[in-house]
Amino acid sequence: MMPRSLSANVIFGLAPIVLVIALWQGLVSFGFAPVVLLPPPGVVFGRLLKQLVTWTFQQEIAATLIRLFAGFAIAVVLGVSIGIAAAASPAINAIVRPIVRVLAPLPKVALYPALLLLLGFGHGSKITLVAADALFPILLSTYYGASTVEQKLIWSAMAAGTRRYEILFKVVLPAAMPSILTGCRIGLVICCIVVFLAEMITSTDGLGHVLVTAARTFQAVDMFVPLIAISLLGLILNGLLGAVRSYLLRGFPEA
Amino acid sequence: MTSPSALARRAAPMFACIGLLAVWQVASLALKNDSFPTAIEAIRAIPDILGDKESLINILASLRRMAIGFGIAVLVSIPLGLLMGRSRAVAAFFNPLLMVIYPVPKAALMPIIMLWLGVGDITKTLVIFLGVSLPVIYHSFEGAKAVEEKMLWSGAAMGLSPLQRLVRIVLPAALPEILTGCRTGLVLALITMITSEMIARQSGAGNILFNALDMGQYDTVYAMIIIVGAMGICLDAVFERVRARLVRWSEPQFDMPLSFS
Amino acid sequence: MKVVPSRSSEWVRPVTSQKPASAIIEIDRVSQVFQTSARKDHLALSNISLTIEEGAFVSILGPSGCGKSTLLYIVGGFVNPTSGAAKMKGQAITGPGPDRGPVFQEFALFPWKTVLGNVMYGPRQQGVRVAEAEAQSRALIEMVGLKGYESFYPKELSGGMKQRVALARTLAYHPEVLLMDEPFGALDAHTRTRLQNDLLNIWERDRKTVLFVTHSVDEAVFLSDKVVMMSKSPGRIREVIDIDLPRPRRRNELLLDPRYQKYVVDIERMFDEVDETGSVS
Repeated sequence: MMPRSLSANVIFGLAPIVLVIALWQGLVSFGFAPVVLLPPPGVVFGRLLKQLVTWTFQQEIAATLIRLFAGFAIAVVLGVSIGIAAAASPAINAIVRPIVRVLAPLPKVALYPALLLLLGFGHGSKITLVAADALFPILLSTYYGASTVEQKLIWSAMAAGTRRYEILFKVVLPAAMPSILTGCRIGLVICCIVVFLAEMITSTDGLGHVLVTAARTFQAVDMFVPLIAISLLGLILNGLLGAVRSYLLRGFPEA
Repeated sequence: MTSPSALARRAAPMFACIGLLAVWQVASLALKNDSFPTAIEAIRAIPDILGDKESLINILASLRRMAIGFGIAVLVSIPLGLLMGRSRAVAAFFNPLLMVIYPVPKAALMPIIMLWLGVGDITKTLVIFLGVSLPVIYHSFEGAKAVEEKMLWSGAAMGLSPLQRLVRIVLPAALPEILTGCRTGLVLALITMITSEMIARQSGAGNILFNALDMGQYDTVYAMIIIVGAMGICLDAVFERVRARLVRWSEPQFDMPLSFS
Repeated sequence: MKVVPSRSSEWVRPVTSQKPASAIIEIDRVSQVFQTSARKDHLALSNISLTIEEGAFVSILGPSGCGKSTLLYIVGGFVNPTSGAAKMKGQAITGPGPDRGPVFQEFALFPWKTVLGNVMYGPRQQGVRVAEAEAQSRALIEMVGLKGYESFYPKELSGGMKQRVALARTLAYHPEVLLMDEPFGALDAHTRTRLQNDLLNIWERDRKTVLFVTHSVDEAVFLSDKVVMMSKSPGRIREVIDIDLPRPRRRNELLLDPRYQKYVVDIERMFDEVDETGSVS
């Protein structure tokens, strides 16, 4: 019963994706859109597969991935530690809260020119931008998770002889894990988006740069390839994070 | 409401702004870098930008596109999200498509859409629309999914039709979550707006920013950063006010440090 | 469920049936004020003094809002009283410690740890080596009737089983006093009686001091040596009743015992009185 309805759901869910591709193919086949502007899906996916095995394209992906992971890692470390510290200490909270309220809604991409001036056009400025954008969702959900930890969980651990500073690692961090991972999932998608945009705005390599190069020469096929690549990358990373999540949260209900 | 501690809490973001500007000032004085003007120099350049007619028109045009894109996105996304939340079939139908679209940077679609629709307002508005839609759909979906089944049963028992239940029970019950999505969407609209203008380099606030960068007018670069940042903070603050009014009945946002420390 | 007597397990302290009654917990003129809003204070506990003797099973009984749980939290060291002091063996209580083990109505199990992991937490925290902690914990899990469930996560257990794990987790670090905060309040009636029976069986073997908060009169009479009746607004001790019923107590005998019935009827009447006076003021 269960697997059948599951596979039915999968087919059902694939339907709109197939539909979009069919519509795309139809537009080209029936001559509504010229091939130069909208290449047929077969050509695009064929080009993607051909590109994926070339050394140069793999290097572009590698450049994007390095920036993405470095930025994400910085955002996770900073976001989780600041979030927990702000939940644990009223003094830190009083400082962090107003700063976060000012910086969180600030469009970080506007800082990019400044980052370029300060850190140059290499990895540094892009990684910083990625980290700055992914930081706040992770920080805020960590803070939320850490400040809603059930009081009696903490009391139980304290009664069992856990010292106050240990409580942070032994109770608050694991108890806040579900919402930390939710924040990480949002942060990861943001990382994908931001790294691509940063590469589009100014770069000499990476998937975003591939798109810009193609746009300059009006190669529609080559413009679709990096977009599909980043979408697939996002799906794969999201899947990996989902696996990590279901392992880490195996004890939590509804995980 | 007017106790000194409440007043201090309300003024805290102001202090944070001043503090951040002060850190900037000190850092720039310490670094003595040509491409890193002091905060005061950047602030001094703001009136020049806002006084310049062309810049002002550019910025206002940006804001108009943003408002239109945001408005249409909200109007389309909330009903879709609510339907997805209340109907498994609708959710199963749209979820995979949305998952595929989610990690695609919407502003990156600019070059392709430009090929089709040109560099005009429509392209930029469309990109903003795409950027705002997803978080609003997602939060409306989550909010509608969490609505208590028994509340809907009560509604059905009172003789409400499915559509009436959606509008009169699901919509208000999911409103806190929907507004959270709109808040994210609003910030995203601003981000998408700036980014699309940085990529298309035709007009708007993002364009002023990068033109100044290219021409080495560093004061203008930083002044524009302050202007865009202020837009984000103000829009967010205004929206937060509206949100707090609309969902006064719901649980106040959690605001307390843990008591073990 | 059967309680298997395990003579070998080390957590069982020698049974001393005829020990001299010495005070283990002293509560001295404790008051607790909560700030409910900017200018309104709520007096939750007013001038409470109470002495609990070592090895006694004492229930605190009262209507909702009489501050009975707050009193327990003060003894646990989780809450500091506004005035007055609580002492454990003559030492002022300043914070939580492994000499006083809580069992909460909400179970408060660590969701990221298995049953065994939860029970082992205390001993490991006390510096007991892994192998030894595991052996002790397995014995305790067996004693509370959950043998075979060691590798389950709390989410996979029923409410009654979760509370058994919570009890085992607390017993695992050998507290001298058990602080039970309406431990069976979230359970259905049947599970509740079974856990009461099992708790009594476990307790009658090693007679730890128990401070037990409840709002159920028959639960209090069935389990306790002493029932402390509290009234609300403000929380005060109304009366302390000695429950002079023979031990070991068996439910099927006790329910037919006229002395038990009289205690229940008398205390229920008193409960009605304090609830009414409380709601008027």
